Amino acid sequence: MGSNLFTSALSGMNAAQIGLSTTQHNIANVNTPGFTRQEVQISSRAGSPFGGGFIGQGVDVSGVRRIYDQFLSTQVLQEQAQASYLTTYYNALKQVDNLIADPAAGAAPAMREFFSAMSSVANNPESIPARQTVLSNAQYAVNRFQAIDQRLTNISDSLNSQISGSVDSVNSYAQQIAALNGSIKRAIATGQGQQPNDLLDQRDQLVSKLNLEVKATTLRQTDGTMSVFIGSGQTLVVDEQAMSLQMVKSAIDPSKMDIAYRNNNTSVTLQQSSLRGGNIGAYLTFRDQSLEPMRNELGRVAMGMAMGINQQNQAGLDLRGQKGAALFNVAAPRVDTGVNNQGNAVISASIADLGALTTSDYQLKVNGANNYTLVRLSDNFLTNITGALPQTVDGIKINLASGAPVAGDSFLIRPTANAARDIAVMTNDPAAIAAAAPMRGVASLANTGSATIGSGAVNLSPVTIAFSDPALPPQTYTVTDSSGAAAPLTGNYVAGNPISYNGWTTQIAGAPGANDKFTITRDLNSIATVAMLAAPASTNVGTGTISPASVNIDWTTPFSVTFDAVAQTYTVTGAVPDVSATPFAYTPGSPINLSYNGWTAQINGTPATGDVFTFEPNTGATGDNRNALLMANFQNSNILDNGTTSVQAAYSQLVGRAGAKTAELAVTSEAQNNMVTETIKAQQSMSGVNLDEEAANLLRFQRAYEAAAKALQVSNTMFDALLALGG
Amino acid sequence: MRISSNVIYDSNVTAMGQLQARMLQTQQQITSGRRILTAADDPVAAARALDISQSDGMNNQYAANRQAAKHTLSVVEANLQSVTTLLQDVKTAAVTAGNGSFTDSDRISIANELQGRLEELTGYANSTDGIGNYLFAGYQTRTQPFVDTPAGMGYFGDDGQRLAQVSASRQISTSNSGADVFMRIKSGNGTFLTQAAAANTGTGVTSAGSVTDSTLLKAGHTYNLTFSVGPDFPGGPDLTKYIVRDTTPPAVPPGTQVLPDPLLPPPVAPAVLGVPYVSGQAISFDGLQFDIQGVPTNGDTFTVVPSANESMFTTISDLIDVLKATPVGASLTNGLNRSLNHLDNALNNVLTVRSSLGVRLNEVEALDVEGENLGLQFRQSLSLLQDVDYNKAISDLTMQQTALQAAQQTFAKVAGLSLFNYI
Repeated sequence: MGSNLFTSALSGMNAAQIGLSTTQHNIANVNTPGFTRQEVQISSRAGSPFGGGFIGQGVDVSGVRRIYDQFLSTQVLQEQAQASYLTTYYNALKQVDNLIADPAAGAAPAMREFFSAMSSVANNPESIPARQTVLSNAQYAVNRFQAIDQRLTNISDSLNSQISGSVDSVNSYAQQIAALNGSIKRAIATGQGQQPNDLLDQRDQLVSKLNLEVKATTLRQTDGTMSVFIGSGQTLVVDEQAMSLQMVKSAIDPSKMDIAYRNNNTSVTLQQSSLRGGNIGAYLTFRDQSLEPMRNELGRVAMGMAMGINQQNQAGLDLRGQKGAALFNVAAPRVDTGVNNQGNAVISASIADLGALTTSDYQLKVNGANNYTLVRLSDNFLTNITGALPQTVDGIKINLASGAPVAGDSFLIRPTANAARDIAVMTNDPAAIAAAAPMRGVASLANTGSATIGSGAVNLSPVTIAFSDPALPPQTYTVTDSSGAAAPLTGNYVAGNPISYNGWTTQIAGAPGANDKFTITRDLNSIATVAMLAAPASTNVGTGTISPASVNIDWTTPFSVTFDAVAQTYTVTGAVPDVSATPFAYTPGSPINLSYNGWTAQINGTPATGDVFTFEPNTGATGDNRNALLMANFQNSNILDNGTTSVQAAYSQLVGRAGAKTAELAVTSEAQNNMVTETIKAQQSMSGVNLDEEAANLLRFQRAYEAAAKALQVSNTMFDALLALGG
Repeated sequence: MRISSNVIYDSNVTAMGQLQARMLQTQQQITSGRRILTAADDPVAAARALDISQSDGMNNQYAANRQAAKHTLSVVEANLQSVTTLLQDVKTAAVTAGNGSFTDSDRISIANELQGRLEELTGYANSTDGIGNYLFAGYQTRTQPFVDTPAGMGYFGDDGQRLAQVSASRQISTSNSGADVFMRIKSGNGTFLTQAAAANTGTGVTSAGSVTDSTLLKAGHTYNLTFSVGPDFPGGPDLTKYIVRDTTPPAVPPGTQVLPDPLLPPPVAPAVLGVPYVSGQAISFDGLQFDIQGVPTNGDTFTVVPSANESMFTTISDLIDVLKATPVGASLTNGLNRSLNHLDNALNNVLTVRSSLGVRLNEVEALDVEGENLGLQFRQSLSLLQDVDYNKAISDLTMQQTALQAAQQTFAKVAGLSLFNYI
């Protein structure tokens, strides 16, 4: 009976002491990240029976458990991964947002300055200082484009090192988790099923850190180890073994780094979009869905401005009376050959139509001979290309420069990616700005009628040559000007005979089929001067070929119009092709539209018989500002998105889009952070240490200890009394 | 509910961080004066602000263009004002020269004076904008447009008119070609020119005439009016009659061979046999009408030719020639009449050009007002879009400050509460 008292009191003291230690541990770890509070598990000892029932034997400490809720902890992990993703994405995008919309650093003011300077040239076309200002402002605009592009490149480069840092962290966490798996497994085995609480906390903390880098899912095994999966189910940790991630060059786009999964010395590139959440997910999404589209968009703005001004400058005469050349350098679309390509094909691309150009990148997949699939990567829209290259899709002309492709080969075509980087001013000669139009109309001083000539314009609209059915001889061709300015021309087809129209001459040979067409369009990539590209339509069935491939309109061939007021006709001499044999009728008083030799003009008023109007090369026209006006007004011309967007508007769209995405991320990341705070609060309300509670526990266990000690003292006194009885 | 002690600290730190971030944002808005610090603050407004800045920039550019256009137009206008004065002086001189009491030497001295005015006029026509660009050369502003050649004053410019973009939708011409101002002046009355033959011996003086019926006009035709003085029958009184002949060769259908016709063209109806002449009575045929005053002699001839372009220079040098030739009587009157007519035409032409300049200047002024209003609107819209509302911002800042202070004070209180303080 006495020993019972002793053991019972001792067990109480023992339990109180363990309780005090645990409280002490909780207090000590109040600031330890990932620590979950621990609690002593005690239970009363089964009583020993005596006649009247059971007498309590004291208390047993069955273990120390951590107050832990699997559900809450998993939720914290998920929310944290998402919050880390959003915050990182937001911080990355914010850098870009600050840059492009800045009123001083953005490209919009620079472009405005350029057009404003061009307007000054239109006011004073002879002024060298005004022209110099255009060149300086062109350089300013170019610098802005390049600087923004450079900044985007820097961000992109630093992303690579950030991704690499994240990948290193992931690998390190994986190894630590694997090591802890081992320790926990052994601790459980040696502790006979008791949980090593602090090791578990440490492992949970590592998983939490891992989730900040990349979204991972976990599975607890019965032996206490934890398996970790990432991506689309790739095992990162199993038991004591850790796999690793590594960075590899993208097989599609060698300028990019992709993340590969490494297992047993083989590495497999992961589907980048499967790496969601966390820093890595944010970096990859930012790079692929924000940074590169923005660079493409910026490139398209730069390309639109450069090509538009180039084309207009080429359609004019400079201060020396020479034909204008390109003012800006325009980057050719970048084409990357797939790393794993088997064939030796070299693909090149050029811009054929600014209006149709998108900001997307494209992947060209080879299916077989003359059979390709073009994937527009922004929306994964597929275009099947059958037939020999070159072919034009979305305004990009894709050409097989050399070699032969093999089925399975792929090419990445990035039409506008380099445009902002490579835009440059091609001249430092102020005279090179072609402010004058290439031709002028002159009314003879001897004219007695009241007719006057309008200012006129170049006619560079695309032209189609269509053929009739060769089975119904004679086969004819019809040349049509898409603008309708020049009259259509029909003739009998004789293979190899020159066909002239609107000032240029070409030849078609071979046997064109019924409805075969040939087009002559402006070559947007010509640098030196205006060139028109002749090409057969892809739907042609005959063997007709057109040559030369490039024809020039040089506005050096004058033509003149002579009126006969009595017969109400006029004759045109000097036109190519010659039309002097046919008088054309006109209605006195209504405007007379003329378009010959690449020049369109209007005669208004009433001409008298014998009145002559001559259209001649505009030599010595230092004061002509017609072309400068057109260049200054280019900022209003909607050349992008099929004639709906100007370059300035395209830039403000870019700013708007970047701003909208940043704003969205600012809101969602803040909301997500609040969400994290809430989940952590919930998880902590269960597992966190409350110092007041611990203080209370401290008192409670102290009192319990004191009470148990008192009980021991009592039993000791009782024992003494017993001994005294005996003595 | 249990509260973890760490949560008390963490949530307070987070809350204070957010409050501070908001305060910083407001403070930055106040210091920069801009509501939109980055596009993300208000993406729609940011893109809209860019568009409006673009429109505003262009509006400013149009204002600069208008300024330049006004300057050019004023320079041209000042020049043409001098030309007007000069032409008026020449006209006065021509009227003076017709004074019957003037001697040949008086007229020659007038001619000499006019020679000086002609050179002055050439100077005006070749005037520059002050930096060497000719005002009246069309596009070829570095080419001297008016050069005296053996064949008379030649124009070496072109018909180019320089345009200025004075508003988004309006281009106006800021120049007039020299040909339009100085060269393309219709002779006679604008449709035809009556001239007395130099060999005339009578005192017939012709008027400039006018068009009575434009539908009857035969464009491009020339006529010969010949007087005959003699009796209708032998011994009868001398009658003065005239016959009008159309001397324009008839239009020949293409391909037909034309045989030379040695005969005079047939007289124009109704003057088949000659019309009796009465001084000052209207002579009309083919829709045109003029009169001849005085006494023509037998064989005196007048011609009617279609109006052609005659330059001011030719007009003045013709006048000088008339005066230097020391003519008398009808020849002088005919010559002076013709010159006066052409001087009037020249003056009219210059005044027409000047009035069109005036109209353009007025339009530019009107567009200036419109442009300023537009600019004001743009600036207001921009200000609404991107400028900070100071009242709101400062009140926000005060509120945020109060909130932060409250958070700090309560945190200190809450954090100070601990059971450990009592044991």
